[in-house]
Amino acid sequence: MPGSIATPEIELIIEKKNGGGGGNLPPNGRNGGGDNGKRPRGENSSPKRYYTGMALGIVSILMFFMALASAFLLRRGHGGWVPVRIPTLMWFNTAVLLASSATLEMARHRLAQGLVSAYRILWLVTTVLGIGFLIGQFVAWRQLVAEGIYLASNPASSFFYIFTGAHALHLLGGVTALIFVARRNFDQAHVTRSVAAEVTSYYWHFMDALWLFLLVLLFLGK
Amino acid sequence: MVTHDDGASAPQPTRAPFLARYVFSTHHKTIGLQYLWLALASVLVGVVLSTLLRVHSSWPDTAIPFLNGFENSPERYAAVRLLHGSLMVFFVLTAAPQLGFGNYLLPLQIGASEMAFPTLNLLSFWLTVASLGGMAASFFYAPETGINVWLASAAIFSLAALLSALNFTVTTIDLRAEGMTLPRLPVTVWAWFLNSILSMLIFSVLLAGCTALLSDRVLGSQFFSDASFLAAQPQNLVRQGSLPILWQRLFWYFAQAEVYVAMLPCFGIITHLVATFSRKPVWKERLVVLALCGVGLIGFCVWGYHMFATGMNPYAPLVFAVLASSLGVPAAFLLASWLGTLWEARLQLTTSMLFSIGFISLFIAGGLSGIFLARHDLSTAAVSEDFVIGHFHLVMGVAATFAILAALFFWFPKLFGRRLSEPLGKAHFWITFAGVYLIFMPMHWLGLLTQSNLLPDEQRAALASAGASIRTLVTVATICTVFAQVLFVINFVQALVRRKISQEEDNPWRATTLEWSVASPAPESNFANARPTVYRGAYEFPEGLASDFAPQHVAPELLAQKVR
Repeated sequence: MPGSIATPEIELIIEKKNGGGGGNLPPNGRNGGGDNGKRPRGENSSPKRYYTGMALGIVSILMFFMALASAFLLRRGHGGWVPVRIPTLMWFNTAVLLASSATLEMARHRLAQGLVSAYRILWLVTTVLGIGFLIGQFVAWRQLVAEGIYLASNPASSFFYIFTGAHALHLLGGVTALIFVARRNFDQAHVTRSVAAEVTSYYWHFMDALWLFLLVLLFLGK
Repeated sequence: MVTHDDGASAPQPTRAPFLARYVFSTHHKTIGLQYLWLALASVLVGVVLSTLLRVHSSWPDTAIPFLNGFENSPERYAAVRLLHGSLMVFFVLTAAPQLGFGNYLLPLQIGASEMAFPTLNLLSFWLTVASLGGMAASFFYAPETGINVWLASAAIFSLAALLSALNFTVTTIDLRAEGMTLPRLPVTVWAWFLNSILSMLIFSVLLAGCTALLSDRVLGSQFFSDASFLAAQPQNLVRQGSLPILWQRLFWYFAQAEVYVAMLPCFGIITHLVATFSRKPVWKERLVVLALCGVGLIGFCVWGYHMFATGMNPYAPLVFAVLASSLGVPAAFLLASWLGTLWEARLQLTTSMLFSIGFISLFIAGGLSGIFLARHDLSTAAVSEDFVIGHFHLVMGVAATFAILAALFFWFPKLFGRRLSEPLGKAHFWITFAGVYLIFMPMHWLGLLTQSNLLPDEQRAALASAGASIRTLVTVATICTVFAQVLFVINFVQALVRRKISQEEDNPWRATTLEWSVASPAPESNFANARPTVYRGAYEFPEGLASDFAPQHVAPELLAQKVR
């Protein structure tokens, strides 16, 4: 086997290079990271991955709802379709959710200014508004049930419940994230509080926009 | 959710307890190996099931000992087929090339110490195990319950696949080593990366489809079932009155792209191996990457051609047929690149290379019959069970398995620090290669001959007897090929107990990529604190060096010193 000829000289080269403390700037190096190769934890301390991860996660979640939305548009009007009237409470809930996005941005603004206590209060307000939205959605479902509209009543009601239910489940994840960021001790963490707050805010605003989209879909598509 | 746990604390002198080290490890190499073991177990069971299916179709009266415990009914036969398909597609073809080799090698090949989100990785592995358990359990239930359990398992698998795909994508984007620019990425990394993007899009759709269907079956919602029709039916027939077309659309939206999810990493692996064993750069490497993008993009759009048989908007088949046929373009690019790399190369016909060339052969053979199926007018003649089974087993099942075997022979020293036997491997290759052609080529013929929709019924009946001998040939070939796999199992077990390779053999194939710059098997901390710096592309085999290859991590001036 020709493969048995190893390359001990290369092994030596590696050791020499690392011992020499870099100095060989790679052509086309990324990120301007020419800090003499001394970046023992550089890879792990970069928060970039959380932004990328959140962006990609959002695309994935969007695809989930788009699949259901395309099924909704195809199914619309066939086989015993009885349009569901959107409960008035849900419009009120929408206002609560929009307000929560605003308070979240205000919280982040305070954090950037270094006003941590003001940030904490606004962050708590956001969390309470998020929980308020979820409770409001639950009450709206109870109202529909009281009117005799169940998941199994007709195709329109099935879609209504799966859209609002799946959104509520995703928003519950968002509330968990808000509580997690609020309670987290950032002294020992790899990410700073502002990074965690920013990444969480992307998700929260996305949930907000998704809700508006679903509401419009359910309102116009009935 | 995001996690802050990122392998930085991995190289600790104190050893973690057994469970944390080998079972619930967040370490990418451990998880990669776990996926490979899962795939190995699934493929062995799946192969036995396929033999049972063949035996049953050739000699229906033979009592199969394994199935005697159950009633020998058509439902049981269908359940065996479902289990065979689920094991092979989800836990072998999707798991091994992407999740197994990908998890182990992706961070090593890009010079990272860990995946981006290790805890998420652990979670997706155990969700996959749960899904495997569920799919296996669904086999033992009565059909009604079994289908529900299967759907729930498929939903769990989708979730696991989504989380893995997210992890792979972020790792590739953000954790590359110094100097590892996009054009310098090994083609394997490109394939895993593009495949992850595709997976993130399509597994969401499968998740949505499974959720809605499961809700229909368990909670009585009406996504796919027609209420006014159902209301008029007796209660016990309600299940049969569902509206299947919509579900099928969602399902094939996923399932057609799933074929490419299984194939994309295999394309990457084959490109990588062909170049390494040809001692030449990948021919037209950028076009290869573009072709991989093309496969992903078109694969994402062709879902409709599975629906020719069920009826759709009259213009839609034309669109899908054009799209499906245009898949031939990137496929032809890939093929041209492999052949171009092989052209006038200093070939090293190792077992790994033989399996790679075997893959190319199967890909051509299986791909050609795909053209018949992509044309909506021709497909009416060709759509018959045996023809379709022959087609997709050649191009997806067996070809991907060859890629997995090629990868295993190549990276075995990296995974275990030992080598598989070459003579035994070559014997295994030649028997399997002849075997799979003997199984699946006659199947095409059988499909055209005896089941063609164009033939009048009486002719079809007359031809059925001619088909019987072909069917027996296929079954006998299947049994022989399955028994030949014992060679592989012996080779595998023998290699695991063989002595470890010495340090000089750390890079036995004289490969250029970063995973070979560290010891074999790869040390627990990957690159320790010395993150590699990358100076060149992944496939450089320049003339005039003492050794015939230029590793990605060796600085140019140090490489120049090695001139003869």
